[in-house]
Amino acid sequence: MPNLDDVLSIVTELAERWTWKMETRRPESNRIDILLTSTADLVPFVTALRVQRLGYLSTITGLDPGLEAGQLELLYHFCPGAAVITLRLKVPRDGSHVPTLSQIIPSAESAEREVGEMFGITFDDLRNPDPLYLPDDWPAGLYPLRKDFAGNGRLKPA
Amino acid sequence: MDPRLEAERFTIPIGPQHPALKEPGHFRITVEGEIVTQAVVRLGYAHRGIEKAAEARNWIRNLYLFERVCGICSHIHATAFCLGVERLAGVDVPPRAQALRVLVAELERIHSHLLWLGVAGHEAGFDTLFMYSWRDREAIMDVLEGLTGNRVNYSANVLGGVKCDVDDAQRDAILRAVDLLEKRTEHYLQVVTTDALFLQRTRGIGVMTRAQAEVLGAVGPTARASGVERDVRIEAPYAAYPSFPVRLVVDTRGDLEARVVVRMRELFECYRLVREILDHLPPGEVRGRMPRRVPEGETVSRVEAPRGELFYFIKSNGSDTPERVRVRTPTVCNMTSVVKLAVGHQLADVPMILAGIDPCFSCNDRLIEVDRSSRPAECWTWEQLRAYGVNHYHGHRS
Repeated sequence: MPNLDDVLSIVTELAERWTWKMETRRPESNRIDILLTSTADLVPFVTALRVQRLGYLSTITGLDPGLEAGQLELLYHFCPGAAVITLRLKVPRDGSHVPTLSQIIPSAESAEREVGEMFGITFDDLRNPDPLYLPDDWPAGLYPLRKDFAGNGRLKPA
Repeated sequence: MDPRLEAERFTIPIGPQHPALKEPGHFRITVEGEIVTQAVVRLGYAHRGIEKAAEARNWIRNLYLFERVCGICSHIHATAFCLGVERLAGVDVPPRAQALRVLVAELERIHSHLLWLGVAGHEAGFDTLFMYSWRDREAIMDVLEGLTGNRVNYSANVLGGVKCDVDDAQRDAILRAVDLLEKRTEHYLQVVTTDALFLQRTRGIGVMTRAQAEVLGAVGPTARASGVERDVRIEAPYAAYPSFPVRLVVDTRGDLEARVVVRMRELFECYRLVREILDHLPPGEVRGRMPRRVPEGETVSRVEAPRGELFYFIKSNGSDTPERVRVRTPTVCNMTSVVKLAVGHQLADVPMILAGIDPCFSCNDRLIEVDRSSRPAECWTWEQLRAYGVNHYHGHRS
């Protein structure tokens, strides 16, 4: 079982001082947040985590900061031992494309399909891009976990 | 989906109604002869939009909402939510409350594993095992009802602590139930490892190696039966687990038999923990003060549900309502392993492989007999219902 302090120092080293020079935050004693600056960094960085045997992906959380922000946020939570490593990726609200992790982490597929259909984010090269939870006749362009979704298949009035 | 994958093979749709279990899920199984060559799962038939609904309810109402995510492991969902919200609010929960949370969680694990044993027996065509294990499970349901007042959604948690406390009479009742179940579990462990017909359905079926389990992201007893040493109670102890350490139960064989054996051996660990908690229950209050508003922030709350790691991400914007709550249940992780493991097996093994991960399904109900036309409405007490059941089956037997 990986030691918490070792995990945190390896991940800090990887993110800040290796190839990427990414900003990290420590919101809680067992957590480290890494702010990805580009979607192109996602697959290489996750591969680096896998190589270090820290790549157990717990899930992916989608966040909608609201219409004004014009952005959505993806949180990839990796949980080796007691540590929680979160990769935070900001993507445009409309028409965003993110590479799939399912080639390196097969279990990522279900999390990607869920967050994709709930928030309207396209994951490229998914083996099966069909809806996972939403019905077949769900209207296109309507994403239930976005803040402007009002329920009953409608958007909130602007 | 990719037309290459759908070409020229026979595809059998299973579900969404009752795909072996009582929960809706749709499986498209592609077969060549009797051998499965591809399996695709489609979920969402019971999707209730709970994550969305949480954004329209305050923290207290959300506790009751999240307890209803699952009808079997309701307590662990409420515990994960409470632990996260309490950490965000900076509330200290009294040690006695944390110990009682763990006590109820372990009782819940006992009832969940016994329930699963019955389901596995049923799927394997061994209904005697199903009936005996569910009969014995009633002992733990009675204990949970005595402790919290409810059989299913116990509602033991409140934000800042627990509602229930253990008195001497309840303590004795719990110990009696645990003593009884320990003997029964020894018997079940012997049955599932020696009964020739049951072993035909489990030994060497659905083998998942350690490497596969890690790659497929399996959690809980499903992963531990493949030798993956992953248990949140051990790697990141929460609530009272630092004071009551858990011993890891693993098996390296990775087949369905190993999944049965791991769950049975975990039951012994549950019995040991329950006794230890009752012997060393910290004195004091059972709840702390909880503010109505929770300061801005984000937290991750991970707990070990009966089926594996349960993950909550909670974000507060400083108001009395959460900004976002993300719930990832263990079945989602293990479902990937089902569709991968089914490939290469006989079609008839698919229900057992599915049942092997212990997918979550709805729980039992109360009965009220109402006959409006001829008599006034009649409500049965629990004792009356029980007596009716006992007499009914006794009549059949003689």
